[in-house]
Amino acid sequence: MSAPLRACLALLFLSLLAPPLLAAKVKLDPSHWGLEGGEECVKCHSKTSAGIVLQWRDSAHGKENVNCLDCHQADAAEVDAIEHEGFTIATIVSPKDCGRCHEQEEKQNSSSVHVNAIDLLGRAHPFLAQDLGGQAAADASCAQCHGAKVEVRGDGSLDPATWPNSGIGRINPDGSKGSCSACHGRHSFSKAQARQPEACTVCHQGLDSPDKEVFEASPHGRAYASQKDKMNLDSDSWVAGKDYAASATCVTCHMGAAGKLPSGHDVGLRSAWKLNRPVSEQQHLVLFEDGDKRTLLASEPKPARGAMMPKYDGTEAKVKLLVPADRRRKAMTQVCLECHAKNTIEGFMQQFDSVIELYNAKFGRPAQAIMADLYEQGLLSPAPFDEPLELTYWRLWHDEGVRARHGAAMMSPEHTGWQGMHQLGQNFYGQFLPQVRALGKAAEALIQQHLQDRPEHAWLTQGADTQTPAPEVLGVGNRDAEP
Amino acid sequence: MSNPLALEFISRRIVLAMVVSGLFGMLFVFMLIEFDHQTSTEAFCTSCHSMELVAQPYRESAHYNSPSGIRASCGDCHVSEGLIAATLDHIIGARDLYKQIFGPEYDNPVVNLLHMPEASFSTRDWFRERDSATCRKCHTQKIISGRRADTLEIHNEGAEGKTCIDCHYNLVHRKVPDKQVFKRDAWNLMVEQEFGLEPGTAEQIHQGKIPPPAIKQEN
Repeated sequence: MSAPLRACLALLFLSLLAPPLLAAKVKLDPSHWGLEGGEECVKCHSKTSAGIVLQWRDSAHGKENVNCLDCHQADAAEVDAIEHEGFTIATIVSPKDCGRCHEQEEKQNSSSVHVNAIDLLGRAHPFLAQDLGGQAAADASCAQCHGAKVEVRGDGSLDPATWPNSGIGRINPDGSKGSCSACHGRHSFSKAQARQPEACTVCHQGLDSPDKEVFEASPHGRAYASQKDKMNLDSDSWVAGKDYAASATCVTCHMGAAGKLPSGHDVGLRSAWKLNRPVSEQQHLVLFEDGDKRTLLASEPKPARGAMMPKYDGTEAKVKLLVPADRRRKAMTQVCLECHAKNTIEGFMQQFDSVIELYNAKFGRPAQAIMADLYEQGLLSPAPFDEPLELTYWRLWHDEGVRARHGAAMMSPEHTGWQGMHQLGQNFYGQFLPQVRALGKAAEALIQQHLQDRPEHAWLTQGADTQTPAPEVLGVGNRDAEP
Repeated sequence: MSNPLALEFISRRIVLAMVVSGLFGMLFVFMLIEFDHQTSTEAFCTSCHSMELVAQPYRESAHYNSPSGIRASCGDCHVSEGLIAATLDHIIGARDLYKQIFGPEYDNPVVNLLHMPEASFSTRDWFRERDSATCRKCHTQKIISGRRADTLEIHNEGAEGKTCIDCHYNLVHRKVPDKQVFKRDAWNLMVEQEFGLEPGTAEQIHQGKIPPPAIKQEN
């Protein structure tokens, strides 16, 4: 691709990322809010549930006189409409409701990786929730982050298996996807809350997505912990480098404004790698004619412009543009530039990419290939979690592999190393390979086949001394030397 | 006779007739009172299977098991106070008996549930038209203080222009949405799911086009 064409594409992409900064904050004219009946709600709820009224009073909504009914009003024909003290309302305020005023945010969010969290979960690990756990746990855990499809029962009540739910990919009774309250809270509806890492880490922590642990152990996390009060979290404008510089939070890098880069509610947009997979891949972005987006992994066939392609929900749409992964990296890098030198950023990105490539080459790809062959040869049963090797493989790529890669992505030495690569190594050599060998000669042949040409594993056959420094280098003397 | 005037008009027969008809009148009133009383009891109402279905959730409700030991029976809520009003309510209520015998198969839980919303709507209207009079037999709105702060205030200034049933419905029987937001399709779907019926059959059963499935009742 020629340089001018690249530049044009970059501009086009940035303009897509970047709805004008100065666009009106809310679409609706103030004369349309502060509905009269809302005062009735406040009058009674100040007594029956004073807490939420107090939260609301202190919020931006409360101060602008946006009241209960503005958000909760419903048409009697709506699926989840209920009669409540003479008013027709809905309990769930969906992104569609919020979008009546916050049009831009709703639009960006509606095609983000966040609102597709249910589809993504279903495609990635359909067996996980049911086989290892069970429905009750899935309702109270998986769905509380990924979102539930909220069901309205015939008697008008919300099915308690699906509500309450603030999962970010929630499918609402009105058909809209997502839950603004997942990050902003309900009645306090706070931008400061959403800007703090705690808004994200309620879901992004633990085995599957250890962002909380990694962030806290990273330089950004350290700086945030000690200088939170300098983060200007309540500010109307929140541009990195301009309104705050003490540290970066999740929002700063993944969706915040920095320099000329505008903020946005499409959270995955700046991530070049897909990390939570057995093998990490670069991810391109497909923009559809209808405004929707989806990720395309580097290994997947690239669609031509104008071709039809399935979206996350299975429906097909026309491809408008394919944005390559390095454009996403470029947007992320723009944030870094507010505080870091260019060569520092490039150096960091190289360290990050190298760890991902190391993981893929050394553990991810061979393990994935061995497992695929074992299934194909019938040496493993098709059920995904009924043999020790399968659980070992899951821990390898998921628990430990994800941790190492996230550690590298956010600069936590601890998670890249001891809790990541070190445990990966322990598992791969100490459990995974022995358990494969235990399946017999055919399985052992697979190890040969997939490992023999890999320099990362050469030490297994050529002896450790070819890969590890001589003992003198470590300063312990040559104890094993022949007399 | 020293007082021929009275005897001229009131013969023995008339006196006797008056006494007898007076006694009969009294007996009739006593019978009405007893009739209203007996036909207001839970035992009488649930002697129809269809009402037994309606009564099951009631037995789980606070109106059945109240900490104070007061139990509201069917008639306490659904029959007006006063002999004339109560008798009228029972005469009008005889419609239900007629429907029970000649109408749809209300004893069948499917049919019962399919017809329940309309029954709820008309009952709520009945309460509203009477300014929730039967609630007020036990509850005095102005002194409802509850355990939470401000309950008293809500039941005074906060409830202006409202009657009990406006806010307090779905307390005793199975939950039915308000008439305004009720969706027949969703209700039918719920019935189909609850009884494992083929999709679309609830509507036909409701309209009487096909017979309901035979469902064994537990009680």
